[in-house]
Amino acid sequence: MSDHEALEGAVAAWVLGALDTGEAEAMRVHVEGCASCSQAAARFRAAAASLPLEVDEIAPPARLRERVLVAAAAARSSTLPSAPARKKTVPVNGRWKPAATIQVGRLYAAAAAATVLLALLVGLVAGALVGRNSVTPAPPQVARFTLVGHGPLTGARGTVIDLKNDGVTLVDFKGLPALAKGKVYEVWLITPGGRPEAAAVFVPDSNGGKVVLVSRPLSGFAQMAVTTEDGPDGATAPTQPPQLYGALA
Amino acid sequence: MVLAAGNQDALLELYDRYAGLAYAVAMRVLGDPARAEDAVQEAFLKIWTNASSFDPRKGSLRTWLITAVRNRSIDFLRGRGAHEREELELQPDLAESHGSDPWREVSLSLERAAVRQAVSSLPAEQRQAVQLAYFGGYSQAEIADMTKVPVSTVKGRMRLALEKLHSYLQGRGLYPTDLEAAP
Repeated sequence: MSDHEALEGAVAAWVLGALDTGEAEAMRVHVEGCASCSQAAARFRAAAASLPLEVDEIAPPARLRERVLVAAAAARSSTLPSAPARKKTVPVNGRWKPAATIQVGRLYAAAAAATVLLALLVGLVAGALVGRNSVTPAPPQVARFTLVGHGPLTGARGTVIDLKNDGVTLVDFKGLPALAKGKVYEVWLITPGGRPEAAAVFVPDSNGGKVVLVSRPLSGFAQMAVTTEDGPDGATAPTQPPQLYGALA
Repeated sequence: MVLAAGNQDALLELYDRYAGLAYAVAMRVLGDPARAEDAVQEAFLKIWTNASSFDPRKGSLRTWLITAVRNRSIDFLRGRGAHEREELELQPDLAESHGSDPWREVSLSLERAAVRQAVSSLPAEQRQAVQLAYFGGYSQAEIADMTKVPVSTVKGRMRLALEKLHSYLQGRGLYPTDLEAAP
């Protein structure tokens, strides 16, 4: 049996993504050089592209629109506003494998940053999607990690989107309990040696969600964690074990 | 579409136009609102960051976006990275209206009706094979195990299903006339 005879019967499966990686690569090579299989693949692809239309539309949650806009703005922006850094010498809770001195850089108001990003978006859209003739930066590398809640934050979750090319990170929190009056959630970046550095403070919305901007690269850090601290500025070192955390790898 | 017309609210328009379909596809695949949101967000982000590579001769933004949503959803479902799968490529779209919103809505409604009719007209085993692959992300070998038939039978069902879908939709004028010539 020739390659063609062996492969032509699986073109539809290939188009549907139902071949294993090795089979798919063999098919790809074959289709590139086989006119009849290439034509069959074009027909099948067109048919497969129609399949989503059999699904009834579902209105997504309103917050998703904001999430998309903020993420898009951050992905395109290389001149994001940065928060003032402050330097303090602080004691660090033993659970965090403390170092003697840390330099803390933080965003004081993630919500305000998100608002700025939304404003930036207006100008960025034209350059990215509309201004097709303009020079477009290389697609950013995006890494994604998950934070999981424990103890009092069991059920909470954070999705970390590291926009490496832009040197910023978005963290999408969900399921956070409401805070006591005067309290804030504080985001910490933790080095491989266990040293925490404050990254952001925020108060979740009434649904327990929030998109938080961390305007610094994640390189050099091994974990991200969240604690509850006194507001409005949070603490310069964590005052409790982490309640929501995950590895950045 | 509006992107080519210089509208600065292009992303907003793209979202407002297709978020419902995108979220529905993600929900169909994942059945989990939280992960469906993630998949839709990442798909829009992909479109956003790769906008310059969009080639309207190869298909519509809708198809590009919805394909990205489906692929990312399957990745979540199967617990794999994007590099581990054979990416469904951007395809020539059904005949998408470029006119006013009222006409676009009518056109989309006609497309939906035709697709549903076409899919429902397939023999159950062919429809099942295609849906398990497209919305479930299952391989032909997995589908063969699940349905207790040889892999060759699954291949044949997929081929027949897509041939019939293509013929049905083309017969109703729902493909661009230059489909076969599309690169």
